[in-house]
Amino acid sequence: MDDPVRMQLLKQINSVDHIEGLRSLRDQVHEHMEALLPTRPVEQFNEQLNEVHDAVIQRAVVLAEAQMARLGKGSPPVPYAYLLFGSGGRKEQTLSSDQDSGIVYEDPVSDPAETQQYFTELSDCIVSILQTTGYPLCEGNVLSSNPDWCLSLTEWSGKLDRWFEEPAWESVRYLLIIADCRCVYGDSRLVDELKDFFFTDMLNHPIILKRMLDNTLRHKVLLGFFGQLLKEQYGEDTGSLDIKYGAYIPMVNSIRLLSVQNGIRETATLDRINRLVKIGQLTEAEGKVYARAFRLFLRLRLMTTEQRDGGLYANNGKLSSRKLTKELTGELKSSLRLGKKLQRAVFKQTMGRLK
Amino acid sequence: MIKKTMLALGIFTLLFPVAAFAEDPSAATLNMGLNSLWVMLSFILVLLMQGGFILLETGSTRMKNAGHVAGKTIFTTGLAALIYWAIGYGIAFGGDSSVNALFGWGDFLFNPAVAAGEGDSLPGTVFFLFQLAFAAVSLSIAWGGFAERAKLSSYIVFTLFFIAIIYPTVAHWIWGGGWLAEDGAQDFAGSTVVHLTGAIAAFAATVLLKPRIGKFNKDGSANEILGHNQVFTALSVLLLWVGWFGFNAGSTVAIGDGFFGYVAFNTMLGAGAGGVAALLISWAVTGKADITTMLNGTLAGLVAITASCAFVDPWAAVVIGLVAGVLVFYSVKFFEKIKVDDPIFALSVHGMAGIWGTLANGIFATTALADKVGIGQGGLIDTGSWKQLWVQFESVVVCGAFVLAASFLVLGIMKLVMGFRVTEEQEIIGLDLSEHGAYGYPEQMKKGQSI
Repeated sequence: MDDPVRMQLLKQINSVDHIEGLRSLRDQVHEHMEALLPTRPVEQFNEQLNEVHDAVIQRAVVLAEAQMARLGKGSPPVPYAYLLFGSGGRKEQTLSSDQDSGIVYEDPVSDPAETQQYFTELSDCIVSILQTTGYPLCEGNVLSSNPDWCLSLTEWSGKLDRWFEEPAWESVRYLLIIADCRCVYGDSRLVDELKDFFFTDMLNHPIILKRMLDNTLRHKVLLGFFGQLLKEQYGEDTGSLDIKYGAYIPMVNSIRLLSVQNGIRETATLDRINRLVKIGQLTEAEGKVYARAFRLFLRLRLMTTEQRDGGLYANNGKLSSRKLTKELTGELKSSLRLGKKLQRAVFKQTMGRLK
Repeated sequence: MIKKTMLALGIFTLLFPVAAFAEDPSAATLNMGLNSLWVMLSFILVLLMQGGFILLETGSTRMKNAGHVAGKTIFTTGLAALIYWAIGYGIAFGGDSSVNALFGWGDFLFNPAVAAGEGDSLPGTVFFLFQLAFAAVSLSIAWGGFAERAKLSSYIVFTLFFIAIIYPTVAHWIWGGGWLAEDGAQDFAGSTVVHLTGAIAAFAATVLLKPRIGKFNKDGSANEILGHNQVFTALSVLLLWVGWFGFNAGSTVAIGDGFFGYVAFNTMLGAGAGGVAALLISWAVTGKADITTMLNGTLAGLVAITASCAFVDPWAAVVIGLVAGVLVFYSVKFFEKIKVDDPIFALSVHGMAGIWGTLANGIFATTALADKVGIGQGGLIDTGSWKQLWVQFESVVVCGAFVLAASFLVLGIMKLVMGFRVTEEQEIIGLDLSEHGAYGYPEQMKKGQSI
């Protein structure tokens, strides 16, 4: 039951040849998908939404390449891959997600400086097109336009080694970001190689797990001592639930940590849960209930408060309690209990591994 | 050598106490002397609680008002001394009037004897100072409702009415032989007289002033206006806590058989229980162990045990403190919900906990202790009778209603006649500058004008 409007939009996105057109298509996508939200099962909706996001991003890259060529900067000197991190990497973007991106390019044979120059300029171009299209910049500056996140394969490998060797708070955070990375455009072989480095390093530095664990369990589940929901106490969002950091992220983090421990390369949380079941790290029953809880979090996250700010699609990750029906509240509570249980299980398992 | 001599002298005095004095003082004189020392020390402790209020109020408010908030406490304490001397003391403890049940009359411009008279348990001067310190504490509690937006002049005028009439009247009713004292209302050190009175004046003020700019949003949700220095706030609680031993234990106004120790002991338990309960309840309910709530809980425990410290068993002191700690947490939420801005949490800490502490007597007081203190009778648990609880309830309602009416009247007229609140511009720029012309934190404030 694929809807013709979305297919038509996808087609248009894949052929649009100017930025304003892309922007207007994105607006149409937003409107269309927003209307569809209540009618679709969340998993399907999420998949379709991310497919369109991917299409927009891919088109932005194509337009940027064309722009570079028009400006006389030529075409990409070596193969490269455009990377998505964060929710984009996990194929879990909401209607309004920000940009978290990077670039990996093949080691240049000649003139590395010029190659780097090309990709830096290309990234600037892509990031600005996406911004025009309504994707806000990543607040942590994890962006392909940041030279730290736009590197050749060898440079990436060196960088990963350094992060693994010096597991400070920041490098652990970066490593967990890399764990979610996915190729959205270009040569996916490069990302595979990047991931090879990552998992080899993981094996060689088991101690990193402890630090990853600390980072992973940093966000607490929104469930109080009496099993009540912990709501915002003050400000404009009084009474809202921080679904992003109090439900969704704790689960994403827990599943991610289990996955990297087991060499799982999938990035989407539901895919990761499936893999974990397949290799026997989770039982069928566990996999089923965790997946169900996660789908609920995905759904609620899609219902969080939108903030349209200067043409950018943003979202504060908080769910107004008005949108929370009694039924939903009950479901949310039991799902959060599962989230808590998962966190405990991850803690136990990871600590067990370290002994 | 000197040490040895001193030691020998010390032992000598212990063995032959009488021989150490040129003239034998009578046991009564000794007793009076000890009482005076104890009550004088308690006065000093209670006066020092103003230091607690300075830190409490500045710590809980913003930098731009710090100098004003701190300075006005000293100023109004001084002003209170003059007014209490001239009028207030006479209303509270002055000689019998024809309407003695309602207020005292006499001893205006109090001119005490230079020493204790024959048969006095302590000099009138010491008693006056001790009572004055209580009045000043009640006044500083009331300032909680004024914080960050009242004109300086309103502080001066309200001090006049509060210290001359409002506070002394309640003090007279319960402590000065007024009609509630006749009924046997138990309020050992002033949960009602001092704390509830101050809190209700604060309530009237905060309602008339309306919330601070930015406290509530259009949709009715509250914003958290954080105090600028939590360390000040924590230190303030310690200062108040220490001072409270003068407040409660000193209210025995005698050394006697050492009963003040028992009072202090209960006070300590109540305070501890309040802080522990508040921290745990905030942790359990909001998921965060909130420091401000814990500090409020400690104070609420102290406020609550103030009425009952001489009337209850230690276990009851713990229960009273625990309930106060939980109560204060929900009370803060309640006032926010009904959109009453309570910057220093005076309504919750001193008001709600004061009511609870006073009522708690009616539940937990024991007959033995009520007889010992000589006021009222045992509470519900010990005697199975509701009588004391009813008396306590009556005293809370009557005192509360009187203070509420009187404060609304005085502040309402002030608001009409002279204006109560500073202008929006003055409030935003801060009272340090608008009322006094200089910042409490000049270096910090020059940079960030927006705070």
